[in-house]
Amino acid sequence: MTETRLRLSIVGVVIVAVFAAMFARLWYLQIASGSQYVAAAASNSYRTVPEPPLRGRVLDAKGRVLADDRIANVVTVDRRISDTDRDLVVGRLAELLSVPAATLRERLADPRVSPYQPVPVALDVPIEALTYVSEHAEDFPGVKAQPMAVRRYPNGTIGAHVIGYTGEINAEELEDAPASERYSLGDDIGKSGVEQTYERVLRGRPGRYEYEVDAAGRVLRTAERVRATPGHDVQLTIDLDIQRVAEQALAEGLASARLQRDVVDKARFTPLRASAGSVVVIDTTDGSVVALASNPTFDPNAFTNGIPTATWRALNDPANHYPLLNRVVSGQYAPGSTFKLISGIAGVRSGLVTATSTVDDQGRYKISDQVFTNDGAVVNGRIGLQRAMTVSSDVYFYTIGGSLWPKQRRGEAGGDIIQETARLYGFGRATGIDLPNEAVGRVPDADWKQRIHDARPDAFPYPDWLPGDNVQLAVGQGDMLATPLQLAMAFQAFVADGRLATPRLVSQILDADGRVVRTLPAVDAGRVPVPARDALLAGFAGVVGTDEGTAKGAFATYPQQPPAVGGKTGTAQVAGKQNTSLFVGFTPIQNPRYVVAVVAEEAGYGSQTSAPIARAIFEALNGLPVAPVVAIPPAGGN
Amino acid sequence: MAGLTNVLGERRSRLDTSPLRHLDLVLVGSVLAINLLGLVMIYSATRNGLAGDTGATYYLQRQLIFVVLGVAIMAGAIVIDYHRMREWAPAIYVVTIVMLALVITPLGSSTLGSQARFAVGPIAIQPSEFAKFAIILILAAYCAVHRGDLGGRHLITVLAIVAPALGLVMLQPDLGTALVIGVIVLAILAVAGAKGRHLAVLALIGITGAVVAVNLGVLKPYQVDRLTAFLDQNGDQQRTTYNLEQSKTAIGNGGVTGQGLFKGSQTSLGHVPEQHTDFIFTAVGEELGFVGAGLLLVLFGVVVWRSWRMAVLSNDFFGTLLCVGVVAMLAFQIFENVGMTMGIMPITGIPLPFMSYGGSSALVSFACVGLVANVSMRRFS
Repeated sequence: MTETRLRLSIVGVVIVAVFAAMFARLWYLQIASGSQYVAAAASNSYRTVPEPPLRGRVLDAKGRVLADDRIANVVTVDRRISDTDRDLVVGRLAELLSVPAATLRERLADPRVSPYQPVPVALDVPIEALTYVSEHAEDFPGVKAQPMAVRRYPNGTIGAHVIGYTGEINAEELEDAPASERYSLGDDIGKSGVEQTYERVLRGRPGRYEYEVDAAGRVLRTAERVRATPGHDVQLTIDLDIQRVAEQALAEGLASARLQRDVVDKARFTPLRASAGSVVVIDTTDGSVVALASNPTFDPNAFTNGIPTATWRALNDPANHYPLLNRVVSGQYAPGSTFKLISGIAGVRSGLVTATSTVDDQGRYKISDQVFTNDGAVVNGRIGLQRAMTVSSDVYFYTIGGSLWPKQRRGEAGGDIIQETARLYGFGRATGIDLPNEAVGRVPDADWKQRIHDARPDAFPYPDWLPGDNVQLAVGQGDMLATPLQLAMAFQAFVADGRLATPRLVSQILDADGRVVRTLPAVDAGRVPVPARDALLAGFAGVVGTDEGTAKGAFATYPQQPPAVGGKTGTAQVAGKQNTSLFVGFTPIQNPRYVVAVVAEEAGYGSQTSAPIARAIFEALNGLPVAPVVAIPPAGGN
Repeated sequence: MAGLTNVLGERRSRLDTSPLRHLDLVLVGSVLAINLLGLVMIYSATRNGLAGDTGATYYLQRQLIFVVLGVAIMAGAIVIDYHRMREWAPAIYVVTIVMLALVITPLGSSTLGSQARFAVGPIAIQPSEFAKFAIILILAAYCAVHRGDLGGRHLITVLAIVAPALGLVMLQPDLGTALVIGVIVLAILAVAGAKGRHLAVLALIGITGAVVAVNLGVLKPYQVDRLTAFLDQNGDQQRTTYNLEQSKTAIGNGGVTGQGLFKGSQTSLGHVPEQHTDFIFTAVGEELGFVGAGLLLVLFGVVVWRSWRMAVLSNDFFGTLLCVGVVAMLAFQIFENVGMTMGIMPITGIPLPFMSYGGSSALVSFACVGLVANVSMRRFS
């Protein structure tokens, strides 16, 4: 019996151990690590479904819609369905929606849409098809038909570079966005233009549904609903009418330039490429951007609900000259003779020239063994500031640049007055416009040349600021770079009597009920010196309105004669490329209201392509009939 | 008057002499308390309806019937002298084997991947549950006779007796019940005096057999996955460890005092699969917390302790071995079931006695406790 007792005791001990183990584990799960499981239980029982807010509209200066949301019937497919289901669904949808199966497959394979979000495969589905899909859900696994807010740009390409476009947020943007903004995969975000810079205003606050769900994911009840707050409307300073004219004039001008030969080319067989260009129109009173166009352009509607791969490739193909690039703010060009505004003012400020003093222009300028000539070696004789501007005498400005060089070489005050004046007028720094990717350009000087030499001695063997550098700078050549917007703003400061403005793109923010929630005032960017203003104004007026003016031909058909327009042509040489054609002008001549800057890449002389484009825009600004733009074959002069 | 007094006196004296006066009320009371809790928790786990059926009280009503039947069977197992059962043991066992054989023919029906039950109208009968009872009875009977002489021939006889039942259960396949049977056999042999090294070899064979069953594809893949999920609890949550994660989450969500009866989110929303059957402990854990689940374990402890005590106190060795079989069965099932819900034992389909929804399990558990009470109250006669 004692042996049985012993054996029973062993059984008893085993049982006690087993119960002890259960108690220990129970204690561990419920008390030691309780909060962890409580959290897991909570997330088990609730599903949060974000409710995207209705995005605010983008309006033009007169309240016309440039971008808004519309409700579209969309068919979406869950990408996590099995391959068999996918084949089935693609086949049935292709039939039902009369869309090629290949197109549907491409949409489903789109790598730019997150795998967790249903892919919209068809927009604006007829209501019958929508109903059919809903009623035959079992035949369409993973397919949903639902109304969805879709971004719409009613004017197509018009204003594309200002408005920008929206697209699905990518991983990088998701990471960069502050947590308080509560972005989630599948959300749309502004990708360029005002859609990007005013994202926080336009987007609104997303809402969410918190559903209590059972194990099968069935919704039992709505535990919480936070309503989405619609985004605010953004009213631009852009005038849709002027914008339309600007884009059309730019496109016409470039197309027409392509029919002409590059006269700089010795054989004269090469046609102008005129591959790209840009226009910006500024209201001089407050720096408002009235129009901003870049060519080639794109249709922001193409990005709605995922851009087709082929379209995306085309937009990024170098052969198409990067239509997404906003050349007004991102393009950097040698300003050529349009820069004479700055070197002229610098010359007066330095005391080298006055409004009435003259320089003897014999067609050539020689400094330390280097000879610089006028275009076509034209001889202008004794010439003052006004006429130097009108006929675009290079020698006049070479003289200013060359005369300043010794002082600059010696490091004396005022030696770099061209550079200083350029910087005062806003060159070499961002203007601060509310658009992404603004380039700063470059104002070259001795420091800069030393710096790039130190950084890469092999590529830049000459560390010294040479006489030629200063001479070239005076005519906007050499290493000087400016964006079209910087050029426009420099002329704005000049015609506005020295009040340099910050370009203003948005005038006010309105809420969903149309009430103004914020007004964005004009922002002053400083005072700039404007000596010899009358002589310069008269010189610029002569460019357009006198027989010897470089832009005379371009404005020959202008309905008012002489035109109430002043301006300056520019023709900038670019290594390995055809000349950049520039024109910056203003209207009217007394108390100018608008500045127009036009830059056309590889489009020949300023007078040839850009001045005619500007002419059409001036016609529109002055309420005159707008004649088609035709490039003017060069008669000489730059 | 005298006659009446006499009648009353006779009655009193019949009660006084009946073994029922020695009925272990602690054991029976604990079992009834556990069953009551079981009914409440089954209601809690099923009142929102399971996929595709019935009202809030469907499972409660059915389980209530099983409990009433179970109490009746327990009463029967108490009243009939267990020594009589000793004589019936071979017959009961043969009937069980026949049922086990029939259930894997097309007569049986298949659920959840194993062919383990007869569908008789609305009721499903699981012969493997009854096999546990039959094996306890026949092994106790055989080993009591060959006490202390369980090497060699008698050991082989024991194995020969058990083999058909074990084999047929494995063919269903029902690894859980096979393990329970194995533990019952080992416990009875151990107490009956089998040699330590024989027991060790048998245990080894049992474990090897289980491993081979897993690897040779006797089990359905899902059974293997469930079984091995506890080895890798951080594995792919969507597949095999899903059960386990949901189970631990529900228990952990209970904390010290629980979410309150009928207030557990995991329980009322049906997040734990098979919660009213094999995972009923998670409902207790979530809604009644450490206090409630601990109390349940204490009640189970009392039942096992009273049964073990009876094994010690029984006045014959057959009674001792019966109680040992019941102790082994209950303790292993409790540990395996509660252990699997908490991730310390592999997931096998073993019901929690007196708690899990299911008729056969309830009836057999009651019958086994009846046996213990039977032994208990007849130890003085």
